[in-house]
Amino acid sequence: MKEKDKKKKLTFGMLVIYILITLLAFACLYPFLNVLACSLSGYNPVLSGKVTFYPIDFTIEAYKQILKRPTIWTAMRTTVMVTLLGTALSLVLTILAAYGLSIQDLPGRKFMTGLILFTMYFGGGMIPTFLVVKGVGLYNTLGALFIPQSISVFNFIVMRTFFKELPESLTDAARIDGASYMRVLLKIVLPLSLAVIATIGLFYAVGYWNSYFDALIYIQDGDKYTLQLRLRSLLFGNELGNAADDVGGTVVMPQSLKMATVAVSTLPILVVYPWLQKYFVKGVMLGSVKG
Amino acid sequence: MERIGRTLKKVWNYKWIYIMLIPVMAYFIVFRYIPMYGITIAFKDYNIFKGVLGSPWVGLDVFKKIFANKNFWSAIKNTFVLNLTALAVSFPLTIIVSLMLNELAGVRFKKITQSILYLPHFISWVVVAGIATNLFALQEGTINSILQRFGIGPIPFLSSEGWWIITYVICNVWKEIGWGTIIYLAALTGVDETLYEASYLDGASKFQRLIYITLPSIKSIIVTMLILNISKMMSIGLDAPLLLGNAKVMGVSEVISTYTYRIGIEKAQYSQSTAIGLFQSVVNIIILVAADKFAKAIGEEGII
Repeated sequence: MKEKDKKKKLTFGMLVIYILITLLAFACLYPFLNVLACSLSGYNPVLSGKVTFYPIDFTIEAYKQILKRPTIWTAMRTTVMVTLLGTALSLVLTILAAYGLSIQDLPGRKFMTGLILFTMYFGGGMIPTFLVVKGVGLYNTLGALFIPQSISVFNFIVMRTFFKELPESLTDAARIDGASYMRVLLKIVLPLSLAVIATIGLFYAVGYWNSYFDALIYIQDGDKYTLQLRLRSLLFGNELGNAADDVGGTVVMPQSLKMATVAVSTLPILVVYPWLQKYFVKGVMLGSVKG
Repeated sequence: MERIGRTLKKVWNYKWIYIMLIPVMAYFIVFRYIPMYGITIAFKDYNIFKGVLGSPWVGLDVFKKIFANKNFWSAIKNTFVLNLTALAVSFPLTIIVSLMLNELAGVRFKKITQSILYLPHFISWVVVAGIATNLFALQEGTINSILQRFGIGPIPFLSSEGWWIITYVICNVWKEIGWGTIIYLAALTGVDETLYEASYLDGASKFQRLIYITLPSIKSIIVTMLILNISKMMSIGLDAPLLLGNAKVMGVSEVISTYTYRIGIEKAQYSQSTAIGLFQSVVNIIILVAADKFAKAIGEEGII
């Protein structure tokens, strides 16, 4: 590595690359800066479009106002609950699936794995799934927001690949000592897989936090709106029709208020991001190994 | 006979594993396979009171109806246009950014920029669309007010069809370009270091090394990614077009997924919406199999 670094002297070409990458990184960050700047600026600067990088006429009034809205808090609570319950259920199911189907000589393993993988290529689609969700009584309940999508096949593949790579000698030894499969899973497999479980848990959590479409089609009552759905009705009002038929949707909001809502709802992602990015690259690579 | 006995014994040994797999298989059967059976309503006149099983069969009538609707063909055309434009911009750009990131020498600088570039991938589309609507707004949008200082515009980024496609592509590239580099960067670290050393001793320029060593080394991943992307031409995420789109640009923003949503959920035309979904799935599979065959034919790894 050191040898290689030495050769990369700062030539003109390198300088150009550094500048371009810096610009690109800036372009990725700028929208966030703009959100913060808009949310913390006074009325007139925002109205005249003067706000670009930093707040003008600094004020936290927008945050005060949105945090006063009970609907934001209800939505926040719903989303936190769906994220926690959903992530827990998803992890349990994914671990069970990955553990069971990582056992090479399990009779029926190929068939069951095939059944799971097939759903990556073909599915019932929006309406047939909608009818099933309605049929099992989940419509307009929070359960509809995580039970129907609790296992992601991609995450299953990642976890199974990881379990397969664990040394068999460990689990075999425990089995010979008379430990049950459940015990092997809990005492040997899981402690060795904390990193991958954390990664996949974070993937699921971010997915639940960010998803809004399920809430859009399965949730009817305004008091069960998730944060993203509430955000959508605050940001876009009635533009698209049926999503925003209660408070907030019809009132014209100043940009600062909108951007403050964006900031508040994105904050949790930014908080977990350092942990997330520590692991996800590895997760992505594991997932690209086909099973 | 003995074989069956052995298998049964094995099954009995693994009984706890099967018990663990019950909730998993139940999930897949209820939420993934029963909906597949529900596809039959594409061939029925679905009646909400009669249910999936009780509704009368109508053969291909539903398909005749959707194929006769010009909105359907427009949705297909829009899906292709948006996918192709986004691919044409983001595919080469992702490779170029990967190559540039790979050249960076400072470990710290590289790490920080990568973290920044990956970040937008984790932001929800609602937030991205909200930010974009704010930035690209015709009046008092930041971009337009900057442009106006240079005497340009205002540009109708969100309300003219041509510009909307560009805005859509910008948002997609912004969100996914960093994420897309991961796979190329992994491939680039696998390039044989001795080749670089040899070329360095032979006095090859940076550009020559790029053309004769780096690109050939990652050619196979480039081809695979291209085929993979092309095989997804018929499917398109619903979030971006639904959230960024508006009544003024419906002519280009209404894609298959949003059309399925509008027909199915908003207008409650269950049979028609299901038929559109089925048509899309079937075309998807045909393209996927063809792409896989093609990949294998040119000596690359398959994608299925």
